Amino acid sequence: MSPELHALAGAYALDAIDGDERAAFEDHLAGCPDCAVEVRSLRAAAAELSHISEVSPPAELRSGVLTAITRVRPLPPITDNVIALRQARTSRSVWQVMAAACALIALVAAGWGYQQHRDARNSRNTAISVVDQVLSAADGMSTSGEVGGGHATLVYSKSQKRVVLIGHAIAAPGQDKTYQLWMIAGGKYISAGTFRPDSNGNVNVSASGDLSTSSAMGISVEPAGGSPQPTDVIASMKI
Amino acid sequence: MRFEKVSSIGQPPVEGTVSGSVDHLTDLLVASARGDEQAFATLYDQTSSRVYGMVLRVIRDAAQAAEVTQDVYLEVWRQAARFDASRSAVMPWLLMIAHRRAVDRVRSAQSSVERDNRYAELTTDRPYDSVSEQVHISMESQRVRKVMNDLTDAQREAVSLAYFGGYTHNEVADLLQLPLGTVKTRIRDGLIRLRDALGVSS
Repeated sequence: MSPELHALAGAYALDAIDGDERAAFEDHLAGCPDCAVEVRSLRAAAAELSHISEVSPPAELRSGVLTAITRVRPLPPITDNVIALRQARTSRSVWQVMAAACALIALVAAGWGYQQHRDARNSRNTAISVVDQVLSAADGMSTSGEVGGGHATLVYSKSQKRVVLIGHAIAAPGQDKTYQLWMIAGGKYISAGTFRPDSNGNVNVSASGDLSTSSAMGISVEPAGGSPQPTDVIASMKI
Repeated sequence: MRFEKVSSIGQPPVEGTVSGSVDHLTDLLVASARGDEQAFATLYDQTSSRVYGMVLRVIRDAAQAAEVTQDVYLEVWRQAARFDASRSAVMPWLLMIAHRRAVDRVRSAQSSVERDNRYAELTTDRPYDSVSEQVHISMESQRVRKVMNDLTDAQREAVSLAYFGGYTHNEVADLLQLPLGTVKTRIRDGLIRLRDALGVSS
């Protein structure tokens, strides 16, 4: 890893970087276990600093908090939501946003970048940890719909410049054909790469790129190898 | 932009801090996730002086600090089921949420002018370890103070301005009139020294 980015681990652990710099470091963090470990250990060290500033809160804060929680439902574990997201079958409307996705987005609002559920290391959840990484960005979003007779969920973060596409029961695109994902900006299509479902119809790919000017993403069927511009767009959605 | 195979991030778990109550706090949080309000009340009682004190130190205004602290605990209540004990101890997790909210508050455009004034107060009247009659002088705080005093002055200043001052590293560099790279290094080296001296494992 670059020494330049590594030096930011301390500042990041203290919330001392903002904006683009923070987003760039989080992007890096998603793929750098060494940095992630260091950030956690430095956050734990920073937490110790709070011993110095310890002050008893006013008594009315306690009653305020305990009254407020009676009106708020604790969220379910993230595992349940992700499974719901992956198994859900929505109506035929293209790219319908699902409730499960909304629940995940609500989680994301807090920006808890490093929270992943306990089973993240299990192989069945390999993709989820990456999804979590993207969703845990402050602007992480998820949307899903019908593609190729199956169901696909797109998880993306403009700040992390990352997209994850998860699909199930997606039909093969046909002999000598491929699917191609596109970023759509100002009516122009920019290729985000090609993909094919595996023999079970599963799609599990991630891509990184600048989504800042994109207003939508599209999926098309193209001749093998992909095309410079789409020829047969089968799905699109606003992002 | 190219596709790549999705691969596991594979981050190893982080051990708890040296505090002996970590497992207990985890139990309370797990119970809270199931809607146990009494467990949450106990969790609040055992953590709120550290959370509120830190938020107050960053924000400086007691009314705003109470408001932010209440938001923090509501968020903790909502998100309790998403806490992963294999990846973080409770206190770092809770304080991370609280610190982020506190700095967001002070960095909002409305308070930027006030903050400049606060920095003047901070540097003249309020060194990092200043105490008021409300401040707890716990064994832990003495231990942390001692380790802070063992940092170089430069490291301590940079870490304190970032953590308790809520300043970005760019702002810290301007305040100390140092190159940004120097500030980054001081913050990181200071935290590493703090971590190692306090025995916070990673």
